[in-house]
Parts: sequence; C-alpha cells; structure tokens
Amino acid sequence: MVHETLAATHAVVTLDVALPGIVWGWIITMNMWAKSVGTGIIFLAFFLLKKYPEQTGFIRFPVVAVSIVFIHIFLFFTVIDLHQMFRFWHIFFYPHLTSAITVGAWMATGFVGLLFAMAYAIYMKKDEAMYDKFLGWTTLLAIPVTLYTAGLMAESTARELWQMPTESAQMILAALLAGSATMLLLGGNQFSDPIKKDLGIILGLSAFAAFIIYMSEYIFGAMKAEEVGATLAFIKGGEYTAMFWIGQIMAFLAPMALICLSLKNKSYYLLKIAAVSALVGLWVSKHVWLVIPQLLNMS
Amino acid sequence: MQLGFLVDLHLCMGCKGCEIACKVENEVPLSTWRLRVKYVDVGTFPETKRTFTPLRCNHCANAPCERICPVSALHYLENGIVNIDKERCIGCAGCVMACPYGAIYIDPQTQTADKCTYCAHRIASAMMPSCVVACPVEANIFGDLDDPTSNISKYIQQHQGNVQVRKPEKGTDPHHFYVGGGNVTLNPLASERIEGHNLFNNITHLPVGGHH
Repeated sequence: MVHETLAATHAVVTLDVALPGIVWGWIITMNMWAKSVGTGIIFLAFFLLKKYPEQTGFIRFPVVAVSIVFIHIFLFFTVIDLHQMFRFWHIFFYPHLTSAITVGAWMATGFVGLLFAMAYAIYMKKDEAMYDKFLGWTTLLAIPVTLYTAGLMAESTARELWQMPTESAQMILAALLAGSATMLLLGGNQFSDPIKKDLGIILGLSAFAAFIIYMSEYIFGAMKAEEVGATLAFIKGGEYTAMFWIGQIMAFLAPMALICLSLKNKSYYLLKIAAVSALVGLWVSKHVWLVIPQLLNMS
Repeated sequence: MQLGFLVDLHLCMGCKGCEIACKVENEVPLSTWRLRVKYVDVGTFPETKRTFTPLRCNHCANAPCERICPVSALHYLENGIVNIDKERCIGCAGCVMACPYGAIYIDPQTQTADKCTYCAHRIASAMMPSCVVACPVEANIFGDLDDPTSNISKYIQQHQGNVQVRKPEKGTDPHHFYVGGGNVTLNPLASERIEGHNLFNNITHLPVGGHH
C-alpha cells in the first residue's frame, strides 16, 4: 500500500494547481433519487395489480401520475446539470452507444412514452385492460431505466468505489425501497392489512439488503483497492462520516425497526413514518456515495 | 501512426515552461489547465529532494472518456490522439468522472469539457506540440510509437525497464510514458496534499461545482 509509505518518504505536494471540486453534486443525487421513485412505484404497481387485482384497481391513475411527475423531476435535474443544457438534443442526433448516458436517455424516453400511453389508457379511454398491457411493458423497461445509472457509475473508471454489480444491486434495491415507501404513502388506509403488510415487508427487506451491501463495502472495500480505502476514509472519521450514518439510519435501520414494530402492532402510522424516513434517508445515502469518490485527488 | 509522449523525469527541472506554453497556445482559462507540473518534496531536512512531474492527458488507446461520452464529442483521430469537439459537447462531465488521471476539466468560458489534445491543430500543420518546443532540456519527447526509428520509440527501447505509465491497473493503455518515475511522482496517493499556502501558491480545491 503506497499510502503507508508516507511516514517513510514524507512526500508532500508543495506546488500544484487547484483541483476540481465536486462536479456531480446534489443535482445528480436528485436525479437518481427521483428516478428510483418513478421506476420503483411502477414495479410495486405491477406487483399489487397482479396479486390483489380486486382491491388495488384504484391505484392505476395515481401510480401513473406519480411516476410521470418523478420521472420528469429526474429528467429536469438531468438536463439542468448539463453545462450546455440546450445541447441536450445532441444525445439523440449524435448518439454514442458505448455510453450509458446515451442508452439511458433513449430508454428513459421510451419509458416516458409508455407512461403517457398508460395515462391515456386509464384517463382518456378508461380502459383497464389496455392500461395493464402497457404496464407490463413499462415494468420491463423500468428495469434498465433504473439500472443505467449503475452502468454510468461503472463506466466512471476513475471512481474505484463505484463497482459493478454492486451498484446495479443498489439501484434496484433503491427502486424497490422508494417504490414501496411511495406506495404506502399513496395508498393510505385504502389498502387492506395484507397489502400494507406486503408493502412493509418489501420496504424492510429492500432496506436490509441495501444496508448489508453498504456495510460490506464499508468494512471490506479497503481490503481490495487502495483508492477505495482512501475514498472510504471520508466516511470513516472524515468529513462525510455523520452524513453517511444519518443516511444509513434513516434509509435502512430506522425503517427496518419501524416495520417490525408496525407488523407486531398492526400500526399503519408507523409504516408511514418508516416510508418517509426511507425516502429522506435514501437521498442522503445516495448523495454521500456520489460525492465521496469525487473528493479523491486523481493526479 | 500512433502518436505518444514520453517525459524523462531525470531531465525535467520544473521550470513550468511547458505549462505556460500550453496555456498561451490553447488559451486555457484561469483556474484550469491542460498541462501542469506538480512539485512533490520528499524526505526530511536536510535529506530532501524535490521532484517535478508534468501531467497531461494520456491519450489512452482504451480511453474511458471516449467510451462514456454520450455524443462522441471525445473521439479518436487517426493518429491516436483523443480529440474533443467542443461544439458537440453537452457538458455532462461524464468524462471528468471517467478519466483516472484528472486530465479533463470543464472550461469555465465555453462550459464544455476540455483537455490536452497533444496540440492536434499544430500537428496537422506538421509542427510539434507547444510544450515540446518550449522545454529547455528536451524532457518532453513526442513522436510516432508505431515508427521504430522515431525519437520516442528509440527512447523507450533505450530505457526499457525504466519506462512507466500512470495507473496501469486501470487498463487504459496510455500513450504517455515516463522515464525515471516512481510512486511519489506517478501515484497521487503516495504524497500528502496539504491545502493552504505552500511554495509560491495556495494549494486548494475549486469551489463545489468544480467550475466558476
């Protein structure tokens, strides 16, 4: 490990230029977070409409409305993060298909198209069969749409912390977590107890799996690569330590505990608190993971 | 033809002539750089040594920046140069995230990505890159890696065993080599970077956002 030789060499940079600060900041966090909600609620809608078709019919329009809103929040923050936002159309007219950004933009466009088709089916045509047919395709497309950011992070060769397939797993879990939390808040007391229980279990298990992955990287990441060790130092006593743990507690630990309590006490109120905590904590967790690799000096 | 660079760190004396020549030739804005010379002091007084390392784009044969660019603004020229089309760039900063050498920046004036192009415009006119011309000790050696009679090929042959690239573990296949380098000069984790006033300047980070 090179870093450990510092005590012997006393090597110190004495003249250099200023290094770039955080280039992908909170705007990209918003992008990822909103995408998790927008795609996750589609996954959960597909699940509920298949398992409880009689009891969940009323979610068809609210789900597509919420997904459209959050996917547009995602698209809005994607575009405003561009330093040349009015050249966004270049992605469609000069596409470079090795880039996850390009592939993601094309798929997100298709996803938005299907969402509007669903909205048309349920709002204009009042045709539930047509809606459900579109929902199947939308659910399929939601998988790569939610995963492409993981591909983008994997393509970021400089940022050793962002590895595949870990990021893919985190993205899909984030979508399930955000989707189930949003569905719990959306459905309110209109859902029966078994549905609430299912949503709570999905939320709790997603939080549990995501937390295990974060902790695995936290504990073992530094043993594989020096750069990962140097990056994780920012959350192991470094400047992002508090924010990292706030994110972990709010996104994963608190929801897990609250869901256990709510299942025991059959309290929907606790489920709602768990859902809000998970949504807020997810934003914080994603933000920390996005920012810390950018603090590392590349040169 | 595959153009490449080699810097003999035994020869470099840290005059920063290359840095200035690059700034002037390419009108690189304040707070950004295409080529810079980093000073690292090693040892404890009186047993100390100062090292100088010119750092620029490595023009990788397997360039992560080219791969991640969504609009092919970063693209290969036939001579192996990784060039940038600033008119096409959308400023997504994917390349900034991908480059393991920190060689790409967002130009604060054009709001597009920018980096060293090995002075592609000069090469098109059969001239050497401006940093090569400015170097008083010929520490910058530039030429065709495919031509065994070129200066750079001969230099690499003569110094076999002492030729290195930065971060070979990334698999980027850089077309930029160093002779006389070591961990302290080539690995950013091998030296401390203490923010604040130092030799003649204030070593710092740019504000959040990475651009003004």
